[in-house]
Amino acid sequence: MSIVRAVLRAQPSWWLGVSLLMMLALAVQVGAVPVHTSDWLAMPKLFEWSAVGDSIQTLSAGSHVLFNLRLPRLLLSVLVGASLGLSGALTQSLFRNPLAEPGLLGVSAGAACAAALTIVMLGDLAAAIHPQARAWLLPLAAFIGALVVCFSLENMARRIAPGSIAALLLTGIAMNALAGAVIGLCTYLADDDQLRSLSFWTLGSLAGARWLWVGLFAGVLATGYCRLTRSMQTLNALALGEAAARHIGVDVHGLRKQIIVWVALLAGLAVAFCGMISFVGLIAPHLVRLWVGPDQRQVLPLATLLGGLLLLVADTLARTVAVPAEIPVGIFTALVGGPFFFLLVRQARGQTA
Amino acid sequence: MSTELTATLLELNHVHLSHGSVREASQVPKPFTLCLSAGERLAILGPSGAGKTTLLRLMALDSNPAKGEVQFKGRAGPSWSLVELSQQRAVMPQNCQVAFGLEVKLVIALGRVARRRDPFVSEIVLHAARLARAEHLLARRCDTLSGGEYARVHLARVFAQLWDVREGLILVDEPFAALDLGLQEHILQALDAFATERQHAVVAVLHDVNHALRAFDRLVLIKESQLFADVASNQQAVPVIEALYGLALECLQATDNAFVVSPVSRRCPPA
Repeated sequence: MSIVRAVLRAQPSWWLGVSLLMMLALAVQVGAVPVHTSDWLAMPKLFEWSAVGDSIQTLSAGSHVLFNLRLPRLLLSVLVGASLGLSGALTQSLFRNPLAEPGLLGVSAGAACAAALTIVMLGDLAAAIHPQARAWLLPLAAFIGALVVCFSLENMARRIAPGSIAALLLTGIAMNALAGAVIGLCTYLADDDQLRSLSFWTLGSLAGARWLWVGLFAGVLATGYCRLTRSMQTLNALALGEAAARHIGVDVHGLRKQIIVWVALLAGLAVAFCGMISFVGLIAPHLVRLWVGPDQRQVLPLATLLGGLLLLVADTLARTVAVPAEIPVGIFTALVGGPFFFLLVRQARGQTA
Repeated sequence: MSTELTATLLELNHVHLSHGSVREASQVPKPFTLCLSAGERLAILGPSGAGKTTLLRLMALDSNPAKGEVQFKGRAGPSWSLVELSQQRAVMPQNCQVAFGLEVKLVIALGRVARRRDPFVSEIVLHAARLARAEHLLARRCDTLSGGEYARVHLARVFAQLWDVREGLILVDEPFAALDLGLQEHILQALDAFATERQHAVVAVLHDVNHALRAFDRLVLIKESQLFADVASNQQAVPVIEALYGLALECLQATDNAFVVSPVSRRCPPA
């Protein structure tokens, strides 16, 4: 047992990276449509096809599923999971609280609320907007919703009772309730078509993955990760509290703003493309902290990796346990993540407080 | 050497200690001026709520005074950036909990977080911890520490922050609030040794008059947000302290130079 533990401690990032690759290889094979080796060989055709702009018929059914549905979905699930893991770790370090998570604090709900408002209020107007612009309208709205919640959360929690965890969580609960009410109102007002897109946002699903989203997400995540990992030691300084962090030369206000913008961007984009997916942002940093300790320089990269792995596993299960039907992954993560979190809290009662 | 010692480190020019609440014109505290030389030991004494911590925050350049100005090393307060300032002055908080239970080693190293290139950080952390008697705590998690151990870790962090600096400024807010007698001595001695070696000035908010009289050069007495007195720390200061607290004190001679003060008990007068 101790040997296993020693190996696990040696290179957590290596372990996570290998399991992520193995899981990707496994996930690509399983699904409603089986994938054969011959389907992979169609890869060159793919570029030909996109270059010529030819119809989809040149691809076999298997390779169509592989290249146009499954691969983007797998990659998007990894990227979304990684964003959720990273934004969860960031929120926790910003609020000095292991219970903080974009979902619990209402950031995801705020994004979904803005998306719901856009769907219902702009329902008739949307036809007038250029289809290309329409595709970007929802992600943009979701991002703005997340940003608004993040800033008001930070301001209100600090004004009500600075440094108080209870004030923060209560503000988060209020945000969640408010966003829930608005989403409920939108559901009430929506027609059938709008209702279907609304339930997509509230349940969370990766089924609509597209290569364009994968590219965009990869870009945002990579940029955010590079920007944030430069200041990981200053994130550790936040654990000392605002005053002490300023005394050792950390620009707390600037750092706060930077973190909030990135959390809103990452969590907001995740909600924008895939709806509300809960618990990944909470559990990934938690597990990492139990594994390697609370040093942010390790927690941030590992939570990113682990978040990607967790959502990949969850999405693979969600689309395979009930073939040919599939469970929305948001329901799945909440179903599995909730009880799991209880266990975590029970086990680590002494350490996480 | 003597010119260095008398060089002004910190200068408070006509500052007000206002609490933010608007008072009547007659109650606006009188402005005062205070100078601190390099290497000086200054204790701030005063009743609770007198504005000691407000004064300390002004001296730490945490906040700008409502009126007047603060100069540190010949430069006006607002012109110092947080990073520059962190390499010249350190603040030891009264009681500062570390979230997430970070490792002690990491917390001490955080004292040097603002330095871009810092090749000797692990040695400095080790030496600082040794000086603060926190060496045995290095591998512990902060959430397992007792109050006294916490104080030593934060002291080590302050040492690490100003380890390779000369003529800096250390500010301490009620360092002995929850510490036992032995630990108070350790921390006082460690702070003294560290500051003497590097000619750092030390400013401390204190409750214990005897600590102030014994280990500090100068006493600044604060009452109702005003400067009550600014006196050298010797036997002549005792009547002023009596007036400050409205209390009769008696001097007990300990050795030839040292003495301790104790409130005169009314019920049971000394024999």
